[in-house]
Amino acid sequence: MKRSLRFWVALWAAKIITRGLFITGKKGTTLPGKIANLIDPQIMRHLSVSITDGIIIVTGTNGKTTTANLLAKILMEAEKSFAFNQAGANLMTGITGALINNTEWNGAPKAKLALLEVDEATVPKFCAQVSPTLAIVTNFFRDQLDRYGELDTTVRMVRDSIPRETVLVLNADDPLVAQFGLNRSGVIYYGVECTPDSQRESQETRECRFCPRCGGVLEYSLFHYGQLGIFNCVECGFHRPDPETIATDVHIEEGLIVFLAGKNTFELSLQGYYNLYNALAALSAARRLGVDEEKIAKGLKGFIPQAGRMERFCLANGEITLTLVKNPTGFDQVIQTMLGVDRPLRVLIGINDLAADGRDVSWLWDVNFERLGAHEDRIQQIVCTGLRAEDIALRLKYCGVSEDKIILEHSLPEAVECLETNRIEDEVSFVLPTYTLLFPLRKILEDRQANVESFKLGIKNRGEEANT
Amino acid sequence: MNLTICHLYPDLLDLYGDRGNILVLEARCRWRGIEPVIQQASLGEDLDFMGMDILFIGGGSDREQSLLVQDLMRRGEELRKAIENGLVVLSICGGYQMLGKYYQTSSGEKIEGLDILDVWTIAGEKRLIGNVVVELDDVTLNTNSAIKTLVGFENHSGKTYLGEAVKPLGNVLFGHGNNGSDGKEGVRYRNVFGTYLHGPLLPKNPHFADLLLELALNKRGLENSLRELDDRLEKIAHETILKRLLKRA
Repeated sequence: MKRSLRFWVALWAAKIITRGLFITGKKGTTLPGKIANLIDPQIMRHLSVSITDGIIIVTGTNGKTTTANLLAKILMEAEKSFAFNQAGANLMTGITGALINNTEWNGAPKAKLALLEVDEATVPKFCAQVSPTLAIVTNFFRDQLDRYGELDTTVRMVRDSIPRETVLVLNADDPLVAQFGLNRSGVIYYGVECTPDSQRESQETRECRFCPRCGGVLEYSLFHYGQLGIFNCVECGFHRPDPETIATDVHIEEGLIVFLAGKNTFELSLQGYYNLYNALAALSAARRLGVDEEKIAKGLKGFIPQAGRMERFCLANGEITLTLVKNPTGFDQVIQTMLGVDRPLRVLIGINDLAADGRDVSWLWDVNFERLGAHEDRIQQIVCTGLRAEDIALRLKYCGVSEDKIILEHSLPEAVECLETNRIEDEVSFVLPTYTLLFPLRKILEDRQANVESFKLGIKNRGEEANT
Repeated sequence: MNLTICHLYPDLLDLYGDRGNILVLEARCRWRGIEPVIQQASLGEDLDFMGMDILFIGGGSDREQSLLVQDLMRRGEELRKAIENGLVVLSICGGYQMLGKYYQTSSGEKIEGLDILDVWTIAGEKRLIGNVVVELDDVTLNTNSAIKTLVGFENHSGKTYLGEAVKPLGNVLFGHGNNGSDGKEGVRYRNVFGTYLHGPLLPKNPHFADLLLELALNKRGLENSLRELDDRLEKIAHETILKRLLKRA
């Protein structure tokens, strides 16, 4: 494809801006991409033609970032170089920026492989210019409705925009995703046989009670979580496809999720069985790319979760787990994980309603807090913070948490202080913020952790001095 | 003493945390020693509108709404009779629109409604999304509650207009309301309430939840029988959003 003058102007302008931002110490993830797209609206098409070894995209509602990072870790183990939009910059501007960073001033690519996390609503725009080699689709859940409109529309848009020549890596257990494979070849399915949390009946939020193909009722022989499970349509026979990659013998061993996929056993240092799906997606794609099994196992085991995804902090009174909550299914999974540890619970929940959180907090009522309410005796305290602290407090009241265990605290440092002050050892402690509260809370936890470390170091140093 | 609360099509109309309204009605009955009986009715199932105390109809996605309009039409006459007899109904978003005369799509096609409420809806070009505060009309609502407002969130593209036979719930102080132009929100006809304040409307509006319960008890011949509850948290939640949106000191 011939590159136009417009392309070169766009590329160089973006590269100059990137350099400028670098010199002034700013990490601009969107500005260079924004400018490049303004100058050449077809820049993605022009940039992608030189990425000849393959373009892998990861999309879906939950687990995009974790899946992309898991696959990145595996590819690094396999010593492959690739372009990557790391910081969750998954809209057109962020993706363009990543591809520009991968392109030399003379237009040659640095790496000939690209791994791109793509926001669901951006997939149609992206695929209008680029034909991915591999498209991983994780799952579809209701998320920030006020930004995307309705779930059906999103699913249909993504499904209809991925080119037919793209090989799909699909979650077989999610009917909304599995339907992408109907009437097309080149599909790799991944799925789970059973986890210790799988159930015959579901009390959770389910996005898909009806067959995405014919509208008939879906029956399940097993639910893994949400609408994920072993399903079958009584009307048209659409059923959970047989996965090429299937996790069997799933269990926990010393805090790791251990599973068998094919002949080999894999270990994952993440909490929550939903992360098993992210691992399976990465594993399926890596196998397809020809990475050997040993490298895959090493990548999965060595993966450390990114900021605020089941991230652990060591504070004065013990460990605290920080994890982002953004939609009912994700929150249900966190509740399940919290209750899975058979100890008293102390929790901080922070709900904001800014644009990045979703303006509408109605979704809190779709979360199955009733399951938490059923274990009310284990709850020591729940501190509520954020612009919508009162909304989450009310939700907790109506799920059966006694009002004297609910604390409203709008100041973030005070909220964390409150969580820590009353805490005794043996309690499990979680901090659960929506997006715009994640980084402020993470900073507070990091600072407290650093204090604890320097305090310990101080004791150790004094001890050594005394010995000499 | 028990109250039968029917959640119509919970499997189809369950957008935006609608379930929250049922949870609130249920809890507020239980806390007063009234036993809530929750019915969940889906497509094709038998329904006894005369035998229930409160009927809740929520909102759904377009696909799901079209699936059930026919099912509801089949029950239209029975529902109308029960409503004329004083059945308490809370209908939100799609549920509200369906009780009206018709819904006119963007291509001009008129989809017939149940024609129980003298309202009609016309598809709008842009979605009306955001927080809402409504100043309740004392005469229409006829409650002696200290809270005089409704707070909630709307997300609809249909614009609903009211006829002579019905009254709005009140004036919009913040947000768009029924159609974004006449400054009114919701509707009341007999004991039927319709509103665009979707999903969990009742948690932060305990006075409105209690109004529904009281009307249901009145219909059973019981007057002023609702015991006061400790609503401190509910009131704080209501006040906080009022202050934030209306920038009150």
